[in-house]
Amino acid sequence: MTETDNAAAPPASSPPVADSALRKTASSGSSPRSDALTAAFDGVRARIGAGARHGDRPPAYRRHQYLAVAVFVAVTALTAPRVVTSAEGSNLLDLWLAYSIAGVGFYWIFGLGGRFAFCQTTMMAVGAYSSAYATGHGRAFWQSTLIGAAAAAIAAAVIGLALARAQHFAFAIGTLAVSQVGVVVFSRTSDFTGVNGQVTGLPYASLFGHTFDSDRSVFWLFLGVLTLVLLLGVFLERSPLGREAVAARDGETVARTAGVPVRRVHLTLYVLGSTAAGISGALLGDWRGFVAVDDFGLDLGIGIFLMVILGGAGSLWGPVLGAGFYVWAPKLLADLDEYKGVVYGALLLVMIMVCPDGLIGLGGRARALVRRRREPAEGGGDA
Amino acid sequence: MATFLALLAGALAYAAVLTLAALGFLLLYKATGVVNFAHGDLLTLGGFLAWWAIDDLGLPVVPGSLLAIVLLAGVGVVLERVAYAPLRKRPQMTVVVATLAAALVIRASIGIWQGSEPRRLPSPVGDGAWHVAGAAIAWQRVLIVGVTAVVVALLMYVFRYTSFGRQVRALAADPDAARLCGVRVRRVSMIAWALSGALAALAGILVAPLTVLDLNFGFAIMLGGMAAAVAGGFGSLRGAVVGCLGVGLIQQLVGGYWLRDYAGALPYAALFLVIVIRPQGIVATPASRL
Repeated sequence: MTETDNAAAPPASSPPVADSALRKTASSGSSPRSDALTAAFDGVRARIGAGARHGDRPPAYRRHQYLAVAVFVAVTALTAPRVVTSAEGSNLLDLWLAYSIAGVGFYWIFGLGGRFAFCQTTMMAVGAYSSAYATGHGRAFWQSTLIGAAAAAIAAAVIGLALARAQHFAFAIGTLAVSQVGVVVFSRTSDFTGVNGQVTGLPYASLFGHTFDSDRSVFWLFLGVLTLVLLLGVFLERSPLGREAVAARDGETVARTAGVPVRRVHLTLYVLGSTAAGISGALLGDWRGFVAVDDFGLDLGIGIFLMVILGGAGSLWGPVLGAGFYVWAPKLLADLDEYKGVVYGALLLVMIMVCPDGLIGLGGRARALVRRRREPAEGGGDA
Repeated sequence: MATFLALLAGALAYAAVLTLAALGFLLLYKATGVVNFAHGDLLTLGGFLAWWAIDDLGLPVVPGSLLAIVLLAGVGVVLERVAYAPLRKRPQMTVVVATLAAALVIRASIGIWQGSEPRRLPSPVGDGAWHVAGAAIAWQRVLIVGVTAVVVALLMYVFRYTSFGRQVRALAADPDAARLCGVRVRRVSMIAWALSGALAALAGILVAPLTVLDLNFGFAIMLGGMAAAVAGGFGSLRGAVVGCLGVGLIQQLVGGYWLRDYAGALPYAALFLVIVIRPQGIVATPASRL
């Protein structure tokens, strides 16, 4: 889907353009951040193993990003309901869309921000419980979903502020702690989380008088929300915030020296990503009709991480692809019965070896191959 | 007093198990830079291998356990060859996913081999208890603390005074410089994986008699150990021991006396506070490099 982004770009076999995100600022000359930074990022990326990116232009220079979202939505809307006809299939389709929303949120935190938040599922649970609580107190669907999102955002803001100084591991473990505390606290019986963390009997979602009472109709609701989230994702990527986030991710010290407000960037992305998780959780709750603490455990947390990594942590579309894999792969392997787990694990291992940049990276690699064939020995570059 | 003693013994034993898990994990991290998410499942595998050696092969408890430890060292080497060596030059996240995949494979394989039925591993010191001041302390707990103390002392010695330890420390400090100085990365990495596997087996075998051995048994222990190691300052052995002690004491003593319902969450809450107040850990290791 992102193929369209780069299709129009000139072939770039340029020398390692490290992280192109700052190039726009660098070349525009209106910012104190100099060209030297770009060079510095080369080194940093090489050292942290991210590798220089060939031919990636800065997002703001790429064309058709919003168009890509439109194409994706159109294609999904036209084909998915026709291709998938079984009851189980529609169910998985909805699950895919809901997980994609949370996955894109995790992409903002991890892919863009470079911070590993273990508590994405906790935020989903916060969103789900808050939304269910609001529904229980007579709020309409859209109000309670927004309340769920706001609750997740507030929780994330508090946690993000508290963990602002924590780096890499410490942040990951700090958020892991949050998720573990969350699981215990949610599974206590209370007015808010129900009996043993189970809230049941939630009504169907309804919007503008239309009730989404089947998997097939919920598909449209989820697709609509995912569209909004993706549009926000493209906007983020093209915004100064996106550039600064990539700079902070690839070379925190350098970015800090250049005046990037690293902590504020991290906090913003964390809150945004958690909000997406909150929305996803709220939607899942309304769709299933219940909220259970086990649905938002560490397994799904690792699952979301796998979605982003397998799909491709370097692209907004990665989590969408990865969520598809995460949802459908176990179903495809269902015939293998007890060997399912072994094959699934082996499949993960092979996938990460074959395409370390994720599924989305396969497209890029194929493109590069085609280009190399077509224009052998093209020197220089576009930089 | 009796309650306090019992709780204290529980805390120390729990801390000791966490320490063993964390040490295996940390050793590997220091030597190879790998965060091994399969470590928890190695613990589980250790428990099941010991159960198999004792129950199916009919070995006595101690030789059976030793056999399991040796086998798991072998599994460590196999993992190194299959899931790590081909990925050595790849980014860290790739390796993390590979270890997650390995964890899934191990867990599923145990399920196929042994089924998902929970087991109870016999203790090498029997089910007896030591009666002190009215408190009954299971011999197994005493054994755990004793073995852990010996292992920690041994590891500290190895790290500080042997050639292998110096090489691991060199790799942890600066992999490139260590390689330039002639550290044989391949060999150190194999030994580290083997040792880490053996430590995982030891931890699994020691803790299994106190709880129920099922497929998810190792993962929670690994998580606790990992968390405690981070609280202690990731990369420092001393820090890991301190962190694990803290986690054990908080969970058993505070959880045992006051907030019984929330005992499982307490160490994590404390951990969160530690990270908020001292993000670099209790025992800070100088690590800031560009």
